[in-house]
Amino acid sequence: MASVPHERDLLDELGRGDAGARAESWRYSKTALRALSQQDFVAADAQAELPAALLAQFDWPQTRGRRVVLVNGTLSERYSDMAGIGASITAGVSADNVYPIRIDGDVGAPVHVVHASVPSAQASRWRASAEVTIASGRACIIEQHLAAEGAAVFGSLQRRYELAAGTQLDLISLCELPESAALYRLIEARVGAKATLRATHVLLGGRLQRMDLQVDLAGPEARLESRGVFALRGRDHADTQLDVRHLARDTACDIVWRGVADQRARGIFHGAITVAAGADGSDAVLSNKNLLLSPNAEIDTQPVLEIYADEVKAAHGATVGQLDERALFYLRSRGIPLAEARRMMVTAFCSEVLAGVADADLRERLAQRAQAALPTSA
Amino acid sequence: MLKIENLHVRVAGKEILKGLSLDVKAGEVHAIMGPNGAGKSTLGNVLAGREGYEVTQGSVVFEGRNLLDLEPEQRAAEGVFLAFQYPVEIPGVNNTYFLRAALNAQRKHRGEAELDSMQFLKRVREKLAVLHLKDELLHRAVNEGFSGGEKKRNEIFQMALLEPRLAILDETDSGLDIDALKMVADGVNAMRSPERAFLVVTHYQRLLDYIVPDFVHVLADGVIVESGDAGLAHKLEEHGYAWIAERHLPAGAGAGAA
Repeated sequence: MASVPHERDLLDELGRGDAGARAESWRYSKTALRALSQQDFVAADAQAELPAALLAQFDWPQTRGRRVVLVNGTLSERYSDMAGIGASITAGVSADNVYPIRIDGDVGAPVHVVHASVPSAQASRWRASAEVTIASGRACIIEQHLAAEGAAVFGSLQRRYELAAGTQLDLISLCELPESAALYRLIEARVGAKATLRATHVLLGGRLQRMDLQVDLAGPEARLESRGVFALRGRDHADTQLDVRHLARDTACDIVWRGVADQRARGIFHGAITVAAGADGSDAVLSNKNLLLSPNAEIDTQPVLEIYADEVKAAHGATVGQLDERALFYLRSRGIPLAEARRMMVTAFCSEVLAGVADADLRERLAQRAQAALPTSA
Repeated sequence: MLKIENLHVRVAGKEILKGLSLDVKAGEVHAIMGPNGAGKSTLGNVLAGREGYEVTQGSVVFEGRNLLDLEPEQRAAEGVFLAFQYPVEIPGVNNTYFLRAALNAQRKHRGEAELDSMQFLKRVREKLAVLHLKDELLHRAVNEGFSGGEKKRNEIFQMALLEPRLAILDETDSGLDIDALKMVADGVNAMRSPERAFLVVTHYQRLLDYIVPDFVHVLADGVIVESGDAGLAHKLEEHGYAWIAERHLPAGAGAGAA
């Protein structure tokens, strides 16, 4: 099925809400979006074989038996390994490529959800939707997006998380794309009373990587902790749009994002927090810091705070800067070569974001991937 | 070991060093004293290879090599160490990790085997004891949240660990109380050896009561105007820098620098 979607059609498909705000949110990604809209895509092959190199990237020993693998957006029986997923977790696939996951009760070890994109003979597209319900207890989901080197694949994923009252979800998301691949993600989460969503997002690479994270703090004392970092090089383009709505009393959000861009990469961070009327006693904190490693890289950041309630505590700040030359010289003066000194400082810059990942092994893996995503030369 | 000849250095278009010459041999301790603005810190920075210091004339030869040709990290690996006047805080970079990376980078440069973490920690514990630094500082980020005294002691601790051949101390005494000053001096004195030289840059003579130099040089308006033994430091303490200005600078010049 070949299709030639125009930019407007693509916007309609990817966008939502009223036309003005929708177009506005794509302001910095227009060029990347137009390039996609002018390209012919065939439907991506759901039965495609995964190359060994890709398999190795997600075959982590600690998630064997608890792994859900989707190939080009479609649940793959062949690559999934759900032997260890008990009655408390159910994963399935329904019409329209929507696969629901339901987690009931404390399930201990994390569930690993892998989205692998593999190329067809021509540029290809896939679309998928997922619904995740945390009905009770505490759960951890590791989400991983990856694509074969050189894969001209454009994926769109919609995902809805429903956190029932009193539940907690730790969501750790690693998205690594080659410069040839594009991904659009719309993540909607509804957090119930006294429930907590702790999310860590690592975004690496991609010709266009757009992530809309919309979180409704819907019940009293609902809480969001969002940590995230993008690390970009070459002509990578990442566009992150956070939209957090405090809809009930005593809700809290704590958002810390970092961005690093080298060479000709482009990064966008838009962090909007709305405290609705009646959501008194809410607490909102947003910090976004960015690092430009090259004069040709660009990062745009925009924190937006709208408050319609009383007795709200809110703080936000955003910066774009460069590596501290004084610190670089200090490291070099002790014998550390320039390239390593830069790497140490970039890693340090990102470390605050990853510090919240409790599993040391996983934290180290994320840090390594982020470091690998940046050029090693000075 | 270190031979500086007729060194002229510009910073932001302004000439700061105006023909400085200095000869330091292995085993010697040289003190560089001088009023504020004389160019003391410029000397340390230019030797360590900081950017923004333009050498317009003269030469610096260290162990037979042209020091000015080397990158800062190469100078360090060749044995040059600068104890900073204002040590830099580097959030997120763990102190132990930093020190081990530095030591092993230097060893690698010199073709020596890198130290594993056990060997490294053994060495660290020995040196910590000398400087009376708490173990806990190792687990923190580089200089982050350190008191002024801790930062300065951390510089000397790094020096002890890296065992340079030429150590330049840039106003390491500034902001130290008498106890910290003694610890710093003990750290330096413990390292004095026939193979190692020190360049101690200071504004006050006080530090030199504890680190007794072989030579004292007075730097004023970008040149060394007077050299002598440790006694020169005491004379300066007695008479002040104005005394030097009167003796060496034409009328009208120098007063501004003091």
